[in-house]
Amino acid sequence: MTSPSWHSLQGDTLLDEIPHGVVVMDHDLRIVRHNHAFEEVFGPSRDKHCFEVYKDRREECPDCPARATFADGRQRVLEESGLDLHGQTVHYMAQLTPLRENGGDEVRHVAAITTDLTTTKRLQREYQTLFEKVPCYVTVLNRDRRVVKANEMFRRTFGEPRGEFCYKLFKHQHRECEDCPAARTFADGGSYTSQHVGTSRDGEPTHYVVSTAPLLWGDDEITHVIEMALDVTDVTRMEAELHSASAFRKALVENSLDAIVVTDEHERVVLMNRAAEELWSADRADLVGRKAPAEVLPQRLQQAADDETVLLHDTTITSLGGETIPVRLAGMNLHDGDRLLGGAVIAHDRREVKELEREKITAERLAAVGQTVAGLAHGIKNVLMGIDGGMYAFRSGMQKGDDARMLKGWQMLEENIDRISTFVREFLEFARGRKPEVKLVDPNRIVRKVVELFEDKAAMSGITLEAELQDQLPFALMDEAGIHDCLDNLVSNALDACEICDRPGRRVVMRTREDVGKLIIEVADNGTGIDYDIRKKVFTTFFSTKGANKGTGLGLLTTRKIVQQHGGKVSFESTAGEGSVFRLEFPRDRLPSLDEDESA
Amino acid sequence: MVQPADKTVLVVDDEPNVREYLAMILQDAGFNVVQAGDGREALEMVRRDPPDFISLDLIMPEMSGHKLLYELRRDKDLARIPVLVVTAHAGDEMGKEELQDLLDNRMLSGPGTYLEKPVNPKNYVRGIKRALGIEVADDGEEKIELREELQDSMGQASPEAMKKALEILRKSQEENE
Repeated sequence: MTSPSWHSLQGDTLLDEIPHGVVVMDHDLRIVRHNHAFEEVFGPSRDKHCFEVYKDRREECPDCPARATFADGRQRVLEESGLDLHGQTVHYMAQLTPLRENGGDEVRHVAAITTDLTTTKRLQREYQTLFEKVPCYVTVLNRDRRVVKANEMFRRTFGEPRGEFCYKLFKHQHRECEDCPAARTFADGGSYTSQHVGTSRDGEPTHYVVSTAPLLWGDDEITHVIEMALDVTDVTRMEAELHSASAFRKALVENSLDAIVVTDEHERVVLMNRAAEELWSADRADLVGRKAPAEVLPQRLQQAADDETVLLHDTTITSLGGETIPVRLAGMNLHDGDRLLGGAVIAHDRREVKELEREKITAERLAAVGQTVAGLAHGIKNVLMGIDGGMYAFRSGMQKGDDARMLKGWQMLEENIDRISTFVREFLEFARGRKPEVKLVDPNRIVRKVVELFEDKAAMSGITLEAELQDQLPFALMDEAGIHDCLDNLVSNALDACEICDRPGRRVVMRTREDVGKLIIEVADNGTGIDYDIRKKVFTTFFSTKGANKGTGLGLLTTRKIVQQHGGKVSFESTAGEGSVFRLEFPRDRLPSLDEDESA
Repeated sequence: MVQPADKTVLVVDDEPNVREYLAMILQDAGFNVVQAGDGREALEMVRRDPPDFISLDLIMPEMSGHKLLYELRRDKDLARIPVLVVTAHAGDEMGKEELQDLLDNRMLSGPGTYLEKPVNPKNYVRGIKRALGIEVADDGEEKIELREELQDSMGQASPEAMKKALEILRKSQEENE
C-alpha cells in the first residue's frame, strides 16, 4: 500500500523534526508510518496495530476513536493512558486527523499526533503534594479575599476555609487588614511580605510572616493570589524570652557590687559595669570597644588555662589613677562549646575588709599585751614570796645556827632571783617581739624540723613523738622562725604533760591539714590534761602549773602573740587525766602578705 | 591550854618555795606541819589523816584549791576543818571569781580567812592560831602587828584591801573597849 503523493509531501526528515509522536495508520488500524519522537516512547511500531502499540492489547479497543474518524472524517482530541515500550503507564493526548487522498472524500488514513502528558501529570501531583505538605500556611485567595483553597497545615491550625474571607479565618475579624499584602498583589502583580498575628481555631495567638504572589492563569487580569505564611510563633516567643533573659542578666551585671569586665577574644572590652568603673576609676565610654588596659586585665589572669577559672583570694589591682587596691580577683575564659568568646574579670573590693581585719588584729594584739602586763604584776608575787621565804630561812637558820636551813634559804634566794631574770628576759622578748620575716614556706617542713629537734628528748623520756602531715599541703606566707617558736612551745608543753603522767604509751602527735580555707596545725598529747579551772586561764597571765624552774607561763602567751600576728588563733581541748590538743588555725585570707611589714 | 604542838597544819601549794616557806614559819611557831603539792594530793592526805587546819593555795594543777574546798565541804567530817586561803590572785581575774564564789557560798567565812601573797609571817601565824583557839601574844606585840597588818592591806591600795583595813581597825577598837 503505497502513496507517492503522501511521500512527496511528508518526507521522513520533516516528520522526525516534529517534537510530538506522529503515527499514520490505515483502515486495519495498522501503523504504516511513525516518526522518531513516537518511537522514543512506544518503540519501533511499523506494521503493528495501534492497539498493540498504545495499549499492549491483542484486539481492537471498544469504541475506537480512530474507527470513528475513518467513519465520519472528523478530527478528534482525546486523553488516554497506555503503556510505553518499557511497560510504564503513559498519559497522552492524541489528536486524530483524517487523511484524504487527492481531494477525494474517502478517508484513506488517520494520522495521530500524540502528546505525552506524563510529565505534566507528575508535576501536577508534585505541586499538589507540595501545596499540602509544605510546613507553611498556604492559601489561594480570589479577588474578594475569599480562601478558595488551603493546605493541610492551614486547615489543621485555622480550620476548613469553606470559602470564608481570609481575615476571618486568620484573625477572626470582620474587616480586611489595613496592610493586606494580597490587596497590593492584586493591584500591581508584585510579591509582598509582612508579619501578622492571627488566632488559631483553638484561640492561641499565632505569629506568621506572609508572602504573596499572583497566580497567572493565562489572562491579563490577576484572578487569584497565593499566600504563603510561615509560622514564627515559637521564634517570636523565644525572641521574647531571650530579650527578657538578656535584660535580666544586664541588670544583674550592672548592679553587681563586684566589678565585672567582659572582653571579646581579642581582649577588647565589651562590657564594664558600674562597680568596675568605680574600682578602676574609669569611664566605660572610654574603654568599651578598645583593647583592655593592663590594669583591667592583669597579666597573672591571662595564664588561665582554657576552661579554668583563676581565683586570687588576696591580691591587688591598680586603678587607672594609679591607686593600689586590695581585691579578690577571678578571671575566666568564656566559651561557647569549643569556640572562645572572650574572657571575664570579676573583682571584689577588699579595702573595707582589709581595714577591719587590720583593726581587729591590732585590737587583739593590744588586748594580749594588756593582759600580759596585768598578769606580770601578779605572777611576780609567787617569786617575791619565794624570796621572802629564802630570806626567812637564811635569817632564822643563822639565828639558830642551823646550817642546813641557811643553805636551803640561800638556794631559795638563788632560785627565785634566777626566776626573776628569766621573767624579765622573756617578758622583754615577748613585749618587743622580733620582726617577722614573711616568706612562702611549707608548713609541713616546719613541723618536721620541730619533730627533729625534740625527737631525742622525747625518746629519752620514753615518749613517742610523731608527725601526721597532710600531703601536698599548700605553702603559706609565714614567719618561719615565729611559727617554729610556737610549735616549740606547744611540743615542749605536751612533752611536760606526758612526763608528769605515768600511763604507758605516752605520745605527742603533730598534725597538719587544710580545712576550708584554713591551715591547721595541731599538737596533741595523751598526758595529764588541764583541769577546767586552769583551762580558762591558760592564755591570760604568767601562769604556770609546772612548778618552779619549769616555766614562766610565757610560752603560750608568746605562741598566741605570734599566731595572732599571722591573723590566726590558738584554741585547745583538754580533759584532765586524758590529754590535750592545742590547735593553731590560720585562715589563709588573713595570713600576712609579702609587702606588709608593719606587723612587728 | 591548847598548844601549837597539839595541832597539825596541812600546807597546800604547788610552788615548792612558797610551800616550804610557809611550812618553816609554822614549824617555827611550834606546829606540826604536813605538805601537799596540789589539790588531789591534799584531798588524799585529808581523807587519810584529817589535819586540824589547812593553809590552801587556789590555783594549782590537777585539782585547784577552789575545787578541793567544795570536795571538803561535801564531807561532814572534813567540812569542819578550818581553812585559810593564801593566794597570789585575790584581786586579779585569775582568782577573783573563785574567791568571790567561795565567800558567796560560805565556803569561807569571817575576816582573816584569806591572805594575799606575799604574806606577812606574823599575820599568817596569828590568823591560824586564832582559828584554832590558841592564845596569841601580848598587847604590845599586838599593836606592832596591827600596824603591819594595816600597812599590808593599805599597801595593796585596792577597795577590797581598804575595806579589810577598816575592818581590822574596827575590830581592834572593839577588843580595846
